[in-house]
Amino acid sequence: MNKIFERGKSKRAQEEMVGFVVIIVIVSVIILVLLGFLLRSPDTSTVENYEVESFIQASLQYTSDCKDYLEFLAVDDLIVLCQEGGICGDGRNSCEVLNNTLMGLIETGWPVSNQSAVKGYKFDILVEEEGMLMLEKGNKTGNYKGAFQAFAKRGNDYEVSLKIYS
Amino acid sequence: MHTMVRIRRITKRGQMKIQQMSFMLIAVTFLFILVGIFFLSIRLYSLKKTATNLEEQNAMLLVSKLANSPEFSCGNAFGSSRTSCVDFDKLIVLKDRISDYSGFWGVAKIELRKIYPGEEDILCDEKNYPNCNILKLLDKKVNTQPATSNFVALCRKEKTEAIIYDKCELALLMISSESKK
Repeated sequence: MNKIFERGKSKRAQEEMVGFVVIIVIVSVIILVLLGFLLRSPDTSTVENYEVESFIQASLQYTSDCKDYLEFLAVDDLIVLCQEGGICGDGRNSCEVLNNTLMGLIETGWPVSNQSAVKGYKFDILVEEEGMLMLEKGNKTGNYKGAFQAFAKRGNDYEVSLKIYS
Repeated sequence: MHTMVRIRRITKRGQMKIQQMSFMLIAVTFLFILVGIFFLSIRLYSLKKTATNLEEQNAMLLVSKLANSPEFSCGNAFGSSRTSCVDFDKLIVLKDRISDYSGFWGVAKIELRKIYPGEEDILCDEKNYPNCNILKLLDKKVNTQPATSNFVALCRKEKTEAIIYDKCELALLMISSESKK
């Protein structure tokens, strides 16, 4: 009789322990879900794209060392001169100067290396939707920030775009 | 005699039960306080993080806006109106009057760094201008968050023997907000 009583007590204790473990598991899951929501970091990718946009805008205004008969040309004017096949005042090929200037600007602004966040870039200039100049370096990963800038000069539409792969 | 012993035993058992109950109540209260403190600390941590993120986002937006503000922008000084263009001549004058603007932008540091063409680091003042590449406009001596930067064209009027022309270089406009930590 006493043994039956003891067995019943032990079974109840086991049931209580199982109940306790179930409650702990449920509470832990709820706390983990809440922590997941609280510790999620916000998305800032739209502001980063603005960085590429302002880089293009600033680069187009950069004064190159190519001089026409009046003054030193900004990069956007140099693009037009290159498109028209013109040469600089000192006899250098305007496209060569444009190429070197753009390379210098991009390499300074977005240095590509395995250690840095920038893994590669692709820079394009289109005239009337046809490719005029393309510069690229590094790996094209699936994750990139990009922007483009359009302008019109001497009857032509130009489009400058830059993609930074990270 | 037998009844007295029984009553005393019952009273003792009652006292034990009351004691158990009070211990249980204290333990439950303590548990609730602990859980409350845990959630409060998470909430406080997330609030601080939100404040820091908002400050950073504000700084990012501000650094984009700052370049086009009247105090910084080129306006029509270099031909047509330009975006992301900062007037270096204007800023070197602003540097001397920056105390009037110390609370105007709500940031702790504003710095301009010429990056292309690359040169040796030289701090700008009235004497060495424009042969310098770092202009520290505002520098409150406080703990700051990491700087937020944006590219700008840094333009000025350059004089050679024959002509005066517009010279624009590539620069980074950097601002830092005060750290809340």
